[in-house]
Amino acid sequence: MQELNLTVLNKVGLHARPAKELVKFSRSIKSKVTVEYNGKSADIKSMMAVMALGAKQNAEVNVKIEGPDEAEVAQSLTDMFANGFGFTDEL
Amino acid sequence: MSEKIQGNIALEGISVGKIIKVEQSLKQYLASYTAGNSDEELAKLEEGIDTLSAEIDASVEAMREAGHDEEADIMEAHSFLLMDPLFTDAANDKTKEMGNAPAAVLAAANETAEVLANMDDEYMHERSQDIRDVGKRLARVIMGVKGIEIGKEPVILCGHEVEPSVIANVPDDKLAGVIMGQGSTTCHAVIIAKSRAITTIVGLEEKIKDIPDGVTALLDGNAGLVIVDPTPIELKEYEAKLEAQREEMQRFEQIRDLPAETTDGAKVQLTANIGLPKDAETAAKYGNQGVGLFRSEFLFMGRDKIPSEELQYENYKKAIIACKGELCVIRTMDIGGDKPLPYLNIPPEDNPFLGYRAIRICLERPEIFMPQLRAILRAGVYGKAAIMMPMIISVEEVKKARSMFERAMQELEAEGKEYAKDVQLGIMVETPAAAVMTPILAKYVDFFSIGTNDLVQYTLAVDRINPQVSGLYNHFHPAVLQLIQRTIKAGCDNGKWVGMCGEMASDPYAAVLLMAMGISELSMSAPSIPRVKEKIRSVSLKEAKEHLAKVMELETGAEVRDYLQANL
Repeated sequence: MQELNLTVLNKVGLHARPAKELVKFSRSIKSKVTVEYNGKSADIKSMMAVMALGAKQNAEVNVKIEGPDEAEVAQSLTDMFANGFGFTDEL
Repeated sequence: MSEKIQGNIALEGISVGKIIKVEQSLKQYLASYTAGNSDEELAKLEEGIDTLSAEIDASVEAMREAGHDEEADIMEAHSFLLMDPLFTDAANDKTKEMGNAPAAVLAAANETAEVLANMDDEYMHERSQDIRDVGKRLARVIMGVKGIEIGKEPVILCGHEVEPSVIANVPDDKLAGVIMGQGSTTCHAVIIAKSRAITTIVGLEEKIKDIPDGVTALLDGNAGLVIVDPTPIELKEYEAKLEAQREEMQRFEQIRDLPAETTDGAKVQLTANIGLPKDAETAAKYGNQGVGLFRSEFLFMGRDKIPSEELQYENYKKAIIACKGELCVIRTMDIGGDKPLPYLNIPPEDNPFLGYRAIRICLERPEIFMPQLRAILRAGVYGKAAIMMPMIISVEEVKKARSMFERAMQELEAEGKEYAKDVQLGIMVETPAAAVMTPILAKYVDFFSIGTNDLVQYTLAVDRINPQVSGLYNHFHPAVLQLIQRTIKAGCDNGKWVGMCGEMASDPYAAVLLMAMGISELSMSAPSIPRVKEKIRSVSLKEAKEHLAKVMELETGAEVRDYLQANL
């Protein structure tokens, strides 16, 4: 298992569009990814659960990755968080 | 023999098509559905999700290609909801428990919808409608119910509620209209119908059940009328109306970007009344110059707690940005005991329209008013914003509101939050008391906006919803005209601008009269703007003032109306 602490940089936080990107990403990998924040945890396959975390801009989230491709997944997620899920206007 | 059924206008237009009844079929199918054993039902669930998911993805793509982006966005959200483990896990559990996949899907969708409806997040809140729609659609797929069969003739979709996905799946050239029993004009089905400019009539209530499947119907969306099985003569009449409508549209198109200006160069600002932030964008196609009334009620309805400052801020910001530098006038909460909301906690009243409502609640309950004031002040940095308070009757109220407004600014300043320092604070003049008091109130406000719907009702003591007295309702009643003239004069004398945001503003004859009185802004539903503008562009301010002088001498509302219709 890999564990990461990542910061949400998007202005809107982990809202609809970033959550959708996470769902799409989850469909392309084999590992199970859970995001934890503020005592709640969400499988990134669930857009509703991710949004319900209520992680706003600058929130520190804890990410757990478990599965055969966890090293690559960890790298990809680090990148996705760092570039604000590709929504540069919202950074 | 044709039959006429009256509903409410959701989207204007005239069209003819074949009635297709949606909805009730789902209940029928469910009643006659035979479930298999638990494993079979679980397999059907899984298969159903796969089939529907592929179907949605294909239709999203088709909608994007056809340029229906708004619709595609809603359908894409459906696809994410359908695949969301929060929903699929619930559907699995319920299927095991109930042993009936379609019934389980509906139950799971309702359960998920309730969770979403209780979240303090506008986006999630809206999705609760979507998940119910997804549930119904999935139940149909599992039961092998075919979608609507479309033949050569254009169709009119008819049901108590018509699901957005059902509308979305009928191609443009085959969809003549949508008619619904329920009365909301802001539900997703109506939004989708609007984005495609489909004639829509809502609020037919129980009468919707009497409309037979497969019959031809004529929709007069301008009057909110459904004519079932129209006669050839009626069809012909409507064809002529349709032609006239097309011609009018062309004329309006030509003046859209021209100013609302009299032949001698006097200008008035024509603005839009909106109920949702995105209406500010759609208003642009009618050539509005900003928003004169943004009803903030939608933020307060259908929730069990006060909407947060953040949620309000996001919505006001959206509307202010859509005004593109023109003024966006936001009306503070205008709700009372007629709409029971748990957090307002108002005991039943005999007469809620004269009761504890609107500004009366806000001034006593800072936990409701302050977040709204702060949200508007903060959103104001994205353009030009104004705050408008409804139901004012006295100077004390305005003074108290102003001190709360100032406190909101001080708080934001102390917290180091960005906010607009130039937000105007004004009142709606909609009680006779306020209208009489305008020479004094003018000292304490930045503007007046005359709310004629209530001003006429309160001045004439006429409930216009009551058919026995609604004939007495007339915005040209001399008492009303005198109050309006007094208000406009008081504003002008004190250097404060005066606008109007009631229905009277959309009456082209009234518009001319109001210009002569010195009004500077008229706010109305966006589709009315071109008609008012056309009239204003046809007269001079000089003539208008001559007419005004004569009109103010007349003794009855009927005489005023007759005079204007004969002379303008």
